[in-house]
Amino acid sequence: MTAALSRMVRSELRWVFRRPRTLVALALLSALPLAIGIGIAVSGGPADSTDESLISAVAGNGLVLPIAALSAALFLLLPLTVSMSAADALAGESAHGTLRGLLLAPVGRIRLVVVKSVGVLAVAVAAVALISVVGVATGMVIVGGNGDGVLTLSGSTLSTWPALGRVAIAAAWTVVQLAAIGAIALAVSSVTEHPLVVLAVTVGGLIVTTVLLVIPALGWLHPVLLPTGWPAITDVLRDPVPWDELLTSAYRAACYLVIGISLTLARMTTRDA
Amino acid sequence: MTAATSAGTGVAVATATATSAVGGTAVRAMGLRKEFGRTVAVDNVDLEVPAGAVMGVLGPNGSGKTTVIRMLLGLCRPTLGSVTLLGSAMPDRAADVLPRVGALVEGPGFHPFLSGRENLLRGAAFEPLAPTRSIPSIVDDALERVGLADAARRAYRGYSLGMKQRLGLAAALLVPRDLVVLDEPTNGLDPAGTMQVRQIIGELRAAGTTVLVSSHLLAEVEATCTHVAVLQAGIVVAQGELAHLLEGDRPLLEVVTDEPAAALTALRNAGIPVRTTPGGVEVELVGTAAPAVVAALVNAGVPVSEARRRRTGLEELFAALTEEDRA
Repeated sequence: MTAALSRMVRSELRWVFRRPRTLVALALLSALPLAIGIGIAVSGGPADSTDESLISAVAGNGLVLPIAALSAALFLLLPLTVSMSAADALAGESAHGTLRGLLLAPVGRIRLVVVKSVGVLAVAVAAVALISVVGVATGMVIVGGNGDGVLTLSGSTLSTWPALGRVAIAAAWTVVQLAAIGAIALAVSSVTEHPLVVLAVTVGGLIVTTVLLVIPALGWLHPVLLPTGWPAITDVLRDPVPWDELLTSAYRAACYLVIGISLTLARMTTRDA
Repeated sequence: MTAATSAGTGVAVATATATSAVGGTAVRAMGLRKEFGRTVAVDNVDLEVPAGAVMGVLGPNGSGKTTVIRMLLGLCRPTLGSVTLLGSAMPDRAADVLPRVGALVEGPGFHPFLSGRENLLRGAAFEPLAPTRSIPSIVDDALERVGLADAARRAYRGYSLGMKQRLGLAAALLVPRDLVVLDEPTNGLDPAGTMQVRQIIGELRAAGTTVLVSSHLLAEVEATCTHVAVLQAGIVVAQGELAHLLEGDRPLLEVVTDEPAAALTALRNAGIPVRTTPGGVEVELVGTAAPAVVAALVNAGVPVSEARRRRTGLEELFAALTEEDRA
């Protein structure tokens, strides 16, 4: 006998989004597309961009901005935010002595992992949604539509609705990548009662991984590293969309997700509290 | 005192299912052993708490009280041994048992950025026996009972140690329980708070709830408990009904006097059996009360410098344990 899962999830979400640090992190993340937009507006707008980089592509297309912002945040800020949430979810609860209370209620240990996973995922979704929405709004206001629509990286143009669809694809794909990070962070969170350890391991691991990615001699290792497929986010701006790398990286993230959740479950069902 | 007339805190304590609290054994632990790495924290602990009893687990700091409680509640798995709580095996049937068990273990655990009330609302959301609609009123009642109604909306961060402890108590008593486990509930409380905890334990007992309370203070256990188990270095060194343990030895009255011979005569004349000691005489208080002994001596004109009741078995034992602990 446990309380209804939906009631526990609601309570968890209220707790996650009442936490000051969650709100601060989300506010800072939503400022990122704003900062990029202002930077472009100040630097003179569309005219002076000739190179092929994503940021300069923004200059001509308001709807590229959210994708540029997601891509910029994906390598550090978003994983940091998700890891922080995962750190609070189990290690933080343990440090505050509140994990005991939940287990004594009782929340079944498997249900606890479900509830906590939903909480972490909710932060990932909120962060990505904020960046996307603020990004689209900023892009529209500062850069403006291009009249005929959005110029893709392949040189064709998309009208507004299909372009928004591309942003949605990028956002969903980013959430999948963050879910993988969150699952690994949750696994770390389940073995420690120090939230900082979770941040250090997850973000440290990510940094090490990205270093490994630039070492050509370790090419054989690259297919199993999560960030290998991350540059593929810009593929949503090509026409037609080359799905290969987007899907491969989503599968890769799904593998990490399964591994992370399995480890968390294994640990939580045996953990002394 | 019955639940309905518990004037002090003004809130009645009800039991979840009165039937299960009557008769039988609420807690049974057999051969509990817990190792942390190479350390044996608890060894060969047997505990039996009759339903409706208030069991005090007494022991100096580090004697394994909390480890035993954590094993009872399924928070950690014993290395050896078994636990039966309210008739069900733990930790395997925790989901069936724990809704009817309230606990405060290892101090209160709450989130500092939430108010006391919000913390309890969160806890109540996870309580299977709390109906969703009545959660706010349940929480307000619990806050009222522990005297935190006025501070309910302040952040937990700003609570004093005593207020934190009270909030922990409120969380343990959110819904009616058959068994309440309180680990050092008076830690950090001022005398008024201690009295309030004793009163709450009294109300729970009156309502038929089984209570297991740990303490390192004999006085605390004496004031509230019907049964006691004494732990030392992870082993139960004494267990039983409090009254029985306290009077395990025949109580003795030691009388210090400069005239032991006169005292001897006076008491024998009064028909009180007596024997001499180096400092005076001692009387076994069987069939004779201490005041009668002193009155007999004073009436006979014997100078009494001091008359004291010698400590009984449990007191002696516990004093020895805690002194050892201090050394």
